[in-house]
Amino acid sequence: MYTATHTIWLRHMRKFFRNREELGGLIIQPILWVALFGIGMGRMLPGDGDYVSFMLPGILALTALGSATGGGMMFLDERLRGILREYQVAPIPRMSILLGHILATVSKSFFQIFIVLSVAFVAGARISGDIGNLAMSVVALILFAVGFASIALAVAMRSKSIMGYHGMIFLFNLPMLFASNALYPLENVPTWMRWLAMFNPATWYIEVARPAFAVHTPIMSSLIALTLLCAFVAWSIQIALSRFRAMTS
Amino acid sequence: MQPMIQARTLAKRFGEVVAVRNISVSVMPGSVYALLGPNGAGKSTTINMLTTLLKPDQGSITINGHDVERESDLVRRVIGVTFQDLVLDRDLTGREALDFAGRLYNIEASKRRARITDLVEMVGLGDAIDRMTGTYSGGMRRRLELARCLMMEPKVLFLDEPTQGLDPQHRALIWDYIRMLKTQQGMTVLLTTHGMDEAEALADVVGIIDHGKMMHEGTPSALIGQLGSDLIRLSGTFTHLHTPEWTSEQWVTSWQASETEIRIGVDIGARRITQVIEFVNQSGNTIEEVSITRPSLGDVFLQATGRALRDER
Repeated sequence: MYTATHTIWLRHMRKFFRNREELGGLIIQPILWVALFGIGMGRMLPGDGDYVSFMLPGILALTALGSATGGGMMFLDERLRGILREYQVAPIPRMSILLGHILATVSKSFFQIFIVLSVAFVAGARISGDIGNLAMSVVALILFAVGFASIALAVAMRSKSIMGYHGMIFLFNLPMLFASNALYPLENVPTWMRWLAMFNPATWYIEVARPAFAVHTPIMSSLIALTLLCAFVAWSIQIALSRFRAMTS
Repeated sequence: MQPMIQARTLAKRFGEVVAVRNISVSVMPGSVYALLGPNGAGKSTTINMLTTLLKPDQGSITINGHDVERESDLVRRVIGVTFQDLVLDRDLTGREALDFAGRLYNIEASKRRARITDLVEMVGLGDAIDRMTGTYSGGMRRRLELARCLMMEPKVLFLDEPTQGLDPQHRALIWDYIRMLKTQQGMTVLLTTHGMDEAEALADVVGIIDHGKMMHEGTPSALIGQLGSDLIRLSGTFTHLHTPEWTSEQWVTSWQASETEIRIGVDIGARRITQVIEFVNQSGNTIEEVSITRPSLGDVFLQATGRALRDER
């Protein structure tokens, strides 16, 4: 199980660092997000101007979602081209194939997240929470990234085409963040939207992650949020695995 | 001796489309079996079921004595598979492709290196092994794929259209490898092809499938023998034709007639041809051409399915 997972992960990472296009895009993208979104939007909002710190967890979530989309895309490409079958005929657990892909996606996402953080700190973001907040924030981000990497894979297992995949996956990207407290506080939004946000994994993540970076008014206990995130990850891996098993029938 | 591959009454449908109906295949250890059929006959679906990629709707498969569904890991440990479409990663070198395959099968590093050296020599890839596979020609890719599925020293090889799209030299080369694997390593091989010559050249047993059904099965010589030792072919216009009484006689092994062509399998062509021509002429038909040939697998296929193989080479 471990060897197979490691092999698949390693293969993806080797291809990743060899692919200049993908690498370049991944480096530039987060810089643009922080610059355009964080600084630009921060100027438009009233307040003390530390919008970069406020929305940093949101940008990190966005980065994780982008990586998940890319990871699903990679899986779909391998599936459509038939590369996946090499893994499928090998005597390795199906779970290891899935984990190899998830870990590769999450690794790329943390590679990018590291860049986002560097850029954000240059742009004036700061850590205001203690070490405990920071640790919780990292855990929550990993859970969030793994969950959505799995969901993107689950979608990629059913999609018949690249276009179809993007149509489906778009639903999980920006709308997900806008229906949460990732980019703005929920105090001024309508009640129905606040309710929607309560059932949104992006909100659960923000609840755990934001205290490390900015003053945060909790809308639920961070312990509950963390539990919900864990349940979300377990559920999404389960969906991906059962769909993967069903691919042979 | 127990068969290495034993598939019983396999069936698979995709929605409305029945891809495979009631196919049974049995392959003895150390022999080469060719599934012969046109594109869309159900060859790939069959091979996907045999290699654990697809669950049959009906029927059972054992490979090396293990049930494909219940003991899939034991089966996967002994099979090597190449696919119809090439599945190489263009961003990896040939050596990396082989190395990753070895890792998947838990082969330790020193053994992987030794195995790669042997295989590169066998398939003659030379220095090209350290180039990205994206730069390979079709023939080189096929050779690398073959090398890759041999990394873990399988007992059974499944080759889906192993020579598709290759030039004659490369086809001959791949044929040589397959023969060598069989004679030197006693490997069991199941391959699919739509090339008559390929099946004839390689297979101990040929199964002709069309529309997902097994039409005929046997050694190439037995299948061809069913058609008689000679085949008389007449072309022309045969609109006033009825089946002659003499088709029931001993010397006639097969009779097949359409409005433009008649094929008759007989014992000795040169002796029977006058009688045949006389009969056809008397019924008021026009003969344009007559030939006597040794029947081939192509004729067997035509007899079995009523049509020539598309894309026959």
